[in-house]
Amino acid sequence: MTQFVLATVLGLLFALGTFLVLRRDVVRVVWGVTIVSQSANVYLVTMGGLEGLAPVGHGHGGGGTAVSDPLVQALVLTAIVIGFGTSALALVLTYRVYQEHGTIDVYELGGDQ
Amino acid sequence: MPPTTDVVLAVVFLPFVAAAVTPLVFRLLGERTAYYAAAVALACFALVSKLYFAGAHGSVAVEWIPSLGVSLAFYVDGLALLVAFLASGVGVLILTYSGGYMHGEPGQAKYYASLLAFMGSMLGVALAADLVALFVFWELTSLSSFLLIGHYTGEEASKYAARKSMLITVSGGLFMLVGFLVLVWASGQALPETTYRIPVLIEHADAVRTALGDAGLLVPVLLLLALGAGTKSAQVPFHIWLPNAMEAPTPVSAFLHSATMVKAGVYLVGRFRPLFLPPEAPILGEWTTLFAVLGLLTMTVAAVLAVSATDIKELLAYSTASHLGLIVAGFGFANAYGAEAGAFHILNHASFKAALFLVAGIVAHEAGTRDIAKLGGLRKHLPVTAVVAVVASLSMAGVPPFNGFYSKELLFEATYYAAEEMGGVGWLFPVVAVFGSVFTFLYSIKFASLFFGDEPDGLGHVHRPPVTMLVPPAVLGVLVLAISGQPNAFIEGLVGGVYGSVVPGDAHSFSVHLPTELSPYFVMSLVTMALGAVLFPFYDRIHAGVRTLLSGPVRANWWYDNAVDGATALSKRVTPLVQNGLLRTYVIWALAAVCALALGGYAALGVSLPPLTELAVTTPILLVLLVAVVGAFAVGIAPSHVAGVLTLSIVGFMVAIFYILADAPDLALTQLVVETLVLVIFLLVLDRLPAFYGRPRAAVAVRDAALSLVVGVTVFVTVLVSTASNPNKALAQFLAERAGVPSEHGSLIVDYGGGGNVVNVILVDFRGFDTLGEISVVAMAAIAVLTLIRMRSRGETQ
Repeated sequence: MTQFVLATVLGLLFALGTFLVLRRDVVRVVWGVTIVSQSANVYLVTMGGLEGLAPVGHGHGGGGTAVSDPLVQALVLTAIVIGFGTSALALVLTYRVYQEHGTIDVYELGGDQ
Repeated sequence: MPPTTDVVLAVVFLPFVAAAVTPLVFRLLGERTAYYAAAVALACFALVSKLYFAGAHGSVAVEWIPSLGVSLAFYVDGLALLVAFLASGVGVLILTYSGGYMHGEPGQAKYYASLLAFMGSMLGVALAADLVALFVFWELTSLSSFLLIGHYTGEEASKYAARKSMLITVSGGLFMLVGFLVLVWASGQALPETTYRIPVLIEHADAVRTALGDAGLLVPVLLLLALGAGTKSAQVPFHIWLPNAMEAPTPVSAFLHSATMVKAGVYLVGRFRPLFLPPEAPILGEWTTLFAVLGLLTMTVAAVLAVSATDIKELLAYSTASHLGLIVAGFGFANAYGAEAGAFHILNHASFKAALFLVAGIVAHEAGTRDIAKLGGLRKHLPVTAVVAVVASLSMAGVPPFNGFYSKELLFEATYYAAEEMGGVGWLFPVVAVFGSVFTFLYSIKFASLFFGDEPDGLGHVHRPPVTMLVPPAVLGVLVLAISGQPNAFIEGLVGGVYGSVVPGDAHSFSVHLPTELSPYFVMSLVTMALGAVLFPFYDRIHAGVRTLLSGPVRANWWYDNAVDGATALSKRVTPLVQNGLLRTYVIWALAAVCALALGGYAALGVSLPPLTELAVTTPILLVLLVAVVGAFAVGIAPSHVAGVLTLSIVGFMVAIFYILADAPDLALTQLVVETLVLVIFLLVLDRLPAFYGRPRAAVAVRDAALSLVVGVTVFVTVLVSTASNPNKALAQFLAERAGVPSEHGSLIVDYGGGGNVVNVILVDFRGFDTLGEISVVAMAAIAVLTLIRMRSRGETQ
């Protein structure tokens, strides 16, 4: 089913994330990456369809065949965990970069300006 | 009889296995690893002998890529056996010699491993019957040669030499690969089935040649193969890498750059000779025009350059190129003498040149210099070496009754008969051959003369070489004498088979004799020696004269250096534009490119946006999503890090609630845990980071906003288009049905996965390894985090 609301919301989230990734502050870059990756997860879940019950069979009473797609959920679950690893590493790298270079300005780190 | 598969495979792969365990062996044996490696070479030599004495002839094959018709096929015949004998036999001597030469040198484990791997590659080249296998082993010889030339990794000259040989031989090999692919294509046209097998191609030589000729590809294929062979065998103008390659330790020069690797090129020419040179070939067909001219040119130019050399190894390097030219020229001529000359000279050159390189190694090692001007009168200090040097030098000069004379005489014979048949300009062939040979005579005598005369001032004390360094050249010297004494026995036993490999159809062996009458080609030999003897007193003047001629664009090196320096300079100019060190540059290019491609793709396919019919979301989802967007917007304008992190958290928790509303409880739980953890880590780190209030310039902000807008629009369109389509839900349906929803379908997931939660079962059962990988990623991230923080405090990077 065509998802106008989610298309709009995801477009906005991606745009805001991109804007943050382009900032000079490394912390804001990390925020941007986090927002973009979470939006991507939401997009994947949306692709599985929003209607239907949770894909839990056992003891769920068998209330019809309409369950949400378990496959995308399994994919996204992995993605969330990997995203967490990425964010944690990015943050510690930010901390280390500040220790080494005394700045978290991307321009200064890149040797420009 | 056909060869046994096991033996052939053992010959090729034993050295690779031995190379792989060399580092371990080195820990046990230390410098005695040389003898371990020599024993491996000896085993290979014994296996090759076994093939030889069993009279093996024919193919064996092991399937490799059956779907493409590529197999690991090997072919045993006279040419393959000779090159295999050289690779393993000279290998035994070289590795023994290395035991003395490499005493106290750095990187010995790497050295012996590379040498063994090289020997395996060379045996592979010699025995390969499949074009792809031949190419792979061919490039493996280039790779191991790169490692060996660059053995002294700290020295500029080594690095330059290694890079040069790699660039030239590997790029030549790539041209050869293209040639191979054209051949394979032609086989598909000419034969019922496409084949990669060289023996099959040769068997149907006429059909393959006709197919190539009809497509106008005969000359291009010859040129491509000549590029491969010419770069490997250091033919003009690609000869320039060989003298630089002398930066390698001398045993490597003796092994790779005289007896084996450079022989790969002439091997290729010999291997493909029966394919392109039918018995009825015209005297000056495409093949002869290309290879006879290339060979004679190389023979002459390299001989002249050898006279200009100031270093004994440089002299031998140019001389090697020159003799390889002789072999190529021999194979180039469309008469029997040419093939005989090429076949016999492969063996002769390996015998005397490997001996001379080892002699040069002894001289450099014991006298401490390789400068020709500083050497002389070495006979007194190195008597055995002197005898070997004189025998090998005279053979190299082509003086009767040494073996070099016989093969050179055969080449003269080939040029003479070719000229007689062609007439006119064809007489240039014998004239050029004699001209080049005069220079060969000059530098050969010069090399031998280093052992005579007076010792120059400044030549320090000359040590006696250790026995391990003396025996191998002596063995080679004896081999030279043996071939000289009984040339026909060697031809009968070994070279005749090579001759049979390089001529089409059935061929019988040949024989050579010392001349008993003044035949035209014997006169050519006499003229060569007489001119050489007359000119030798003026050696220094010729040497100086050639050197003054060599400047600027005359030198192939001038072209190489300018091309490489130019490419380096260009890279240096372009790199800062592409890699300016600013994250935003990369992000902008990557995102803009993705958006342009995606939107361009939609436009090209004429994708239309679906009409707005209904909202398709419930009110709670709508509200949650709105809060998320507001949160994200607040992150964008957050005045401080803490405010940003807290609002980012709002986005994360809203996503978690969205998962609950979208009936994805597992995701919601995971998201909640992760979001909490991320919040904690952010707050911990932020405590250590400075506040940052850098405000972007207006122009930058507008540009960023524009790009963000484009990204947003791309995502908007993508989501609309992808959700408007109706993907096949068969897989989801299958899983849901087996989860007991409805229960009458049975519950595969419960029974075999041990749970009713389909997502969980997928993660831990269906995709168990994937999840294991995911856990490893988290573990690695944790280790990286720990390292980044702990290593700093321990000061290990300071």
